[in-house]
Amino acid sequence: MQQLKDLINGFSSPQLIITGASIFFFLYLYFRKFLTEPSVSLFFLTLLVGFFAFSMTDANFREIVLKPDNVPIVAMIYLIAFFTWFSLRRAVENDEAITKGGSTFEGKESDQKLYTWPNLIYQEFICSILVGVVLLIWSILLKAPLEEPADPSISPNPSKAPWYFLGLQEMLVYFDPWLAGVVFPTLILFGLMAIPYIDKNPKGNGYFTFVERRFAITLFLYGWLIMWVLLIIMGTFLRGPNWNFFGPYEKWSVHKVVPLVNVNLSEFVYVKWLNTGLPKHWFLREIFGIVATVLYFAVTPFILAKTVLKRMYIQLGIFRYAILMILLLPMIGLLLKMLLRWSFNLKYIIAIPEYFLNV
Amino acid sequence: MADKGSWKDGITNSQVWKSVFRHGDPGKDRRNQALVVLSNVFLHLHPVQARKSGLRMSFTWCMGGITFFLFLVETLTGILLMFYYRPVAEYAYNDIVALREHVPLGIMREIHRWGAHAMVVTVWLHMFRVFMTGSYKPPREFNWNVGVILLLLTLLLSFTGYLLPWDQLAIWAITVGSNMARATPFLGHEGPGAALLKLGDIKLIHAGADVRFALLGGRFVAAPALMRFYVLHCIAIPLAAAVLMAVHFWRIRRDGGISGPM
Amino acid sequence: MAEVNPPAPSTVSTGKTASPQVMDRRSFFSWLSCAWLAFAAAVAASGTTMIRYLFPNVLFEPPSQFKIGFPDDYKIGEVFEGWKSKYGIWVVRSVDSIYALSTICTHLGCTPNWLEGEHKFKCPCHGSGFRITGINFEGPAPRPLERFRVALAEDGQIIVDKSKKYQQEKGEWNDPESFLKV
Repeated sequence: MQQLKDLINGFSSPQLIITGASIFFFLYLYFRKFLTEPSVSLFFLTLLVGFFAFSMTDANFREIVLKPDNVPIVAMIYLIAFFTWFSLRRAVENDEAITKGGSTFEGKESDQKLYTWPNLIYQEFICSILVGVVLLIWSILLKAPLEEPADPSISPNPSKAPWYFLGLQEMLVYFDPWLAGVVFPTLILFGLMAIPYIDKNPKGNGYFTFVERRFAITLFLYGWLIMWVLLIIMGTFLRGPNWNFFGPYEKWSVHKVVPLVNVNLSEFVYVKWLNTGLPKHWFLREIFGIVATVLYFAVTPFILAKTVLKRMYIQLGIFRYAILMILLLPMIGLLLKMLLRWSFNLKYIIAIPEYFLNV
Repeated sequence: MADKGSWKDGITNSQVWKSVFRHGDPGKDRRNQALVVLSNVFLHLHPVQARKSGLRMSFTWCMGGITFFLFLVETLTGILLMFYYRPVAEYAYNDIVALREHVPLGIMREIHRWGAHAMVVTVWLHMFRVFMTGSYKPPREFNWNVGVILLLLTLLLSFTGYLLPWDQLAIWAITVGSNMARATPFLGHEGPGAALLKLGDIKLIHAGADVRFALLGGRFVAAPALMRFYVLHCIAIPLAAAVLMAVHFWRIRRDGGISGPM
Repeated sequence: MAEVNPPAPSTVSTGKTASPQVMDRRSFFSWLSCAWLAFAAAVAASGTTMIRYLFPNVLFEPPSQFKIGFPDDYKIGEVFEGWKSKYGIWVVRSVDSIYALSTICTHLGCTPNWLEGEHKFKCPCHGSGFRITGINFEGPAPRPLERFRVALAEDGQIIVDKSKKYQQEKGEWNDPESFLKV
């Protein structure tokens, strides 16, 4: 028992969780036909429920999961897992029907018209009642959190943003506030709004499918499940005092010491490799980081357009392709920066604190 | 009072009843089922008819409808909470305690808070469904964009409400959250480029004049911030959300109803 | 304004047949663009005023200048925490100078704690650490803590002015007003 817990604690680190989840994500999409089978999914569900049931016996796990504000996140995990499975299952079935030349689940019935009274209005009515009842029971069972009165001179440890922003707070580990707190949220909103104008694929409108929209669905699901939901889960359950990373069964000790010595790219180049010491002027100091960043954003799109995304470039045209790159490169850049941090303790690629410009 | 139906007919045939409901019993025939939707201002958010595939719960998950229902719940409980709550730093915390201890039915704040959490999740799931069915594709591009703004407003509603209990959880969550605004490029006083905006020696962007100050009404989270968040939370954002919801629902119908394969 | 709507060459002579009182098409459009420009300017001006409305002229925040007693009240090598909650500063006396450090973490604005045992400031929110000088050395904080202007008042007390701040990364800690020689 304790050995299993120690094992899970030992494997709990941002790099292992994000990498593992990413691998699982792509495997799941690739082997979706088998993995979304009801029997296999039942196995996954049992695994998830079993994990929770087993973990609830642990006092440290219980303490964090049963915090009133964290309960909805547990519910969210199950809901999102269910609906992800459900939509992919429906997509697999529809894709099979399309390859056989049949019509999709939705297509069979889209020509029939029904009256919205009673067919839709009763449905909404019943849904509302059910949600109302759940909400009422939830409110009776669980008190809304209320801590000590506000005191500006004492910061609680840890201080967390509201749970739906914890994904952004997790990104703050890797980026400065101007990127993680302002630029990334803006790009997310802008990106969401750009989706219907970038995605020129006319197929898959109004029914579940995967094969007809591979790229769009993979990208969206990865961004949503891994880079948003998973980061929220990590930020809620695994980030403790001093924003240190804790295993699910670890005690949130204020005194846990994790060496956090991170090194800038300029120090790597000048101090470690060239042995000359940092130049005085910031531009000379940061020239390598600036060149690397400019190359990444200016050259990668051309390489991609010639190689991997050749078909997409022709399909989209220069303007749509450029916008796609503006959205795609920061997304990949976020992952790259995480990788660099995990493997080399790299703090900033460009560090110009004189102008608050750190990348 | 000869038979059972007569007193019911007596009500439905009365002038009062007929002045309110212009249609007959919708349980009985198609014509009345259409009329009830057409003549009722609330029900006419719906079209009279819709695709069978689009009416299935397995297709819509009813997530948009649930989100709207939760918005109504939040509005109702929010109004009730406003009867007791004063957005003043000296009173706010005690009023929240009083809502639990001194008021009958002391779960109003619980319903409001858990409803808010649930609404964030249902908005996400609604968007997820719309994406997975490709329902943002033409002709529904614009309505997807209205939806994205509604998502933002939902998050902002929840965020502004987070401060109101005025406890440690609230002010530090808002401190951490709003401090990111300090780093807004050009417009935040610790953002890249802010130092470039100046007239001669006078800095235009400093701690007393940047986006974070506009949000908080001060240099740090204090009484003015409480007032601003309260007004945003109770008036400004709900109003904007209500207007956009009207657009959102209207455009569902204008753009061809709940999506389905062509 | 005429440039906005250049006249089409050899237009149909609608303008010429019209009586002098009636506006011809060309001047009508230039008046219209004038009106639109005026309207846009008015909207922009009222928008700016509304933004200005968000910044009050009087702020009820703690005073930015205050006296904190005499230099000899502070011991060498000690971080004085007495003004932390009232004024938001730590007063540190080193061997030859006194300086006032801001209690706002440069990462996301939490309030760090002075840990006497480990001899550092540690921010509870995201784990940034600062040395007694205010220099950041661990965690996500991008730059050192800020210092405030300190001077001696006429009565010999130290006067702190929080409206003037000094940042190490800009080389401002060499400024003679950022510390007090003792």
